[in-house]
Amino acid sequence: MTTADNSTVIDVDRLEQLADIMLPTAHGMPSASEVGAVNSYLDEVLGWRDDLRQPLFEALSALDPATFTVERLSAFLAEDENAYTALTTVVAACYYLSPVVRDRIGYPGQVAKTYDPFAYTEWVAEGLLDPVVERGPIWREAPE
Amino acid sequence: MTYRADVLIIGAGASGGVAARHLAEHGFDVVCLEQGDWPDRSSFPGTRPDWELAIRRDWAMSPNVRNRPEDYPVVHDDSDIEPLMYNAVGGSMIIYAGTWPRMLPSDLRVRTLDGVADDWPIAYRDLVPYYNAIDRQIGVSGLAGDPAYPPHDDYPLPPLPLGVAGRRVAEGHNRLGWHWWPEPNAILSAPYDGRRPCVQRGVCTSGCAEGAKASTDLTHWPQATAAGARLITGARVSQITIGPRGLATGATWLDHAGVEHHQEADVVILAANAVGTARLLLLSADDRFCPDGLANSSGLVGRRLMMHPFSVVTGWWDDQVEGWQGHFGASITTYQFYETDADREFVRGAKWALSPVGGPLNHILPMRAGNEVWGPDHHVLMGQTFGRGASWAIFGEDLPEKYNRVELDPDRTDSHGIPAPRVTYRISDHSRRLMAFQEERATESLKASGCRETAVASMIPYSGWHLMGTARMGDNPAISVVNSRQQAHDVANLYIADASVFVTSSGVNPTCTITALALRTADLLVQNRSEQKVPA
Ligand SMILES: Cc1cc2nc3c(=O)[nH]c(=O)nc-3n(C[C@H](O)[C@H](O)[C@H](O)COP(=O)(O)OP(=O)(O)OC[C@H]3O[C@@H](n4cnc5c(N)ncnc54)[C@H](O)[C@@H]3O)c2cc1C
Ligand code: SF4
Repeated sequence: MTTADNSTVIDVDRLEQLADIMLPTAHGMPSASEVGAVNSYLDEVLGWRDDLRQPLFEALSALDPATFTVERLSAFLAEDENAYTALTTVVAACYYLSPVVRDRIGYPGQVAKTYDPFAYTEWVAEGLLDPVVERGPIWREAPE
Repeated sequence: MTYRADVLIIGAGASGGVAARHLAEHGFDVVCLEQGDWPDRSSFPGTRPDWELAIRRDWAMSPNVRNRPEDYPVVHDDSDIEPLMYNAVGGSMIIYAGTWPRMLPSDLRVRTLDGVADDWPIAYRDLVPYYNAIDRQIGVSGLAGDPAYPPHDDYPLPPLPLGVAGRRVAEGHNRLGWHWWPEPNAILSAPYDGRRPCVQRGVCTSGCAEGAKASTDLTHWPQATAAGARLITGARVSQITIGPRGLATGATWLDHAGVEHHQEADVVILAANAVGTARLLLLSADDRFCPDGLANSSGLVGRRLMMHPFSVVTGWWDDQVEGWQGHFGASITTYQFYETDADREFVRGAKWALSPVGGPLNHILPMRAGNEVWGPDHHVLMGQTFGRGASWAIFGEDLPEKYNRVELDPDRTDSHGIPAPRVTYRISDHSRRLMAFQEERATESLKASGCRETAVASMIPYSGWHLMGTARMGDNPAISVVNSRQQAHDVANLYIADASVFVTSSGVNPTCTITALALRTADLLVQNRSEQKVPA
């Protein structure tokens, strides 16, 4: 359980059950619980976004894991957009923080890269822009 | 004794920074009042793991979502587009994408050429020297020789990398026989002026921690303050004050604690952006001279707001192109469908800019193109799209309409209790035809570039990043607010440096032109200083 105050105790097990329906084991990817998404990252995510705690709590109160389906989730959007957004944001954020998941999708995060600023001379020399230049000016003359 | 400055500038963003630097470097005693603070680059979220969560709240582009004390709410219940901005030294440049195109000659002559809206009282030729100067101050990366433009000076820095996606779309356009060119960006491709180059992290719209992306807190305010300009942060202006002769005498402002101050000045320059400036002019109504708002004898203050209807067409390839990476200005651009074509059901056109698609959350919970998918298919979708896409961002020319406007809201206020601006804005039928055409062409572009799938996010509401037109320029005081020097017709010592003065919007990102105009206004003020009327 993760708690802000007594009124918004997040039931981690319940959230994990919903998360597993939203992000199940399929197509070579692990489920949310297999990578420990909710258990490992929920506190961090709610630490960054405390505004999501209350609507997440409301989503968990409204959705029963025993009957929860992807179709039920879609319908929930129309019922309570805030709670829906909190649930989908928290589940996705927890899942895609997992290094296992990031590795599988090939995402290293937003990383710094170096490059040669003069490399453009190669594609210019190669003629990539030649057809554009050869067609000539396309701007429209305007009277002063 | 109260201290009186030569020039008071309101707003330390793009236009305010440029004007302040030029005036201070030419010996003027400049004071600037800015409601925000100096940005702290170490607090920018782009290098943190919570980046994609932060941009949905504390680092949102919308002041209403960020809701910081220095932000003012913008009421937009009755607007098809939500105005977006950032309030700090550097202004909205702190979160802008850094795309840096000039306007074209036809942009300033749409009445003569196309029979719509109005011509500007200045021509492209008047802007060229200022475009050249501002490009050097800012440090623009680009490649000269674009046949979409009249020949002009080369950019100070080489173009930023095309990236895999940029190269593919360039080749696609070569196959189609369509124009493309590397986009000029206000982002350094190499070290310049003591600043570091871009590292392609792709987080530009939540602040560039490297300082590679130009904003006036880096490119103008250090020089302005070194030349003696005084920048007061945390200073929210509530009103421009008027003296007995109808000239501006300065401005009243409130500090963080809500204590009221007054700054006197010989000349006042508004640089608060087209929403903030219109709001201040309306707040400065004075029963003696201007009951309907300062400088508003034409009734046009706040009217003719333009925001560029904005669509995104995203394409996905079969293989990885590292679609989360790369500067979020643009790699390449096209003006293929920019100028009027008599065979189309609209006049004018749009400019497109090719950008990255963001990290995983942006794919799952898309702010631009795409759908949310959950269950087993989620993994299929991510496998097919993540890192494989690029987006054409399409900016359509927005023709001015009097009914699109900024007013004062009767109920909502900012954290100091000052009335908030209320924006009413409708995307016109003309714009809808123009955008539908562009979206179809952009889809063709991406298909010709080898994309397997494409998706259109048409005229998205969360896109009011270009704010223009609420105090238009013109020679006739009956139908314009400022003259071609951006001096208010009604108040001889009041100038407007920001995009409020735009007569029409063009179809290009505005900040290159905003800053060129701000430099021109400051330069003309320097040149004409001996004739300037000031309060007694
Ligand atoms: C997300 C985003 C992306 C963008 N991308 C691009 C792009 O790629 N290319 C491009 O050309 N443009 C882009 N823009 C637009 C660009 O940022 C603006 O055109 C530019 O910053 C406007 O300059 P300005 O001086 O008019 O106003 P701003 O830069 O917005 O500065 C106005 C300043 O005035 C201050 N102010 C307002 N009211 C008061 C008051 N009452 N008292 C004291 N201070 C006040 C504000 O705090 C602010 O700092 C983008 C904007 C956004 C939001
Ligand atoms: S991509 Fe370049 S300009 Fe954008 S935030 Fe990173 S370093 Fe700055």
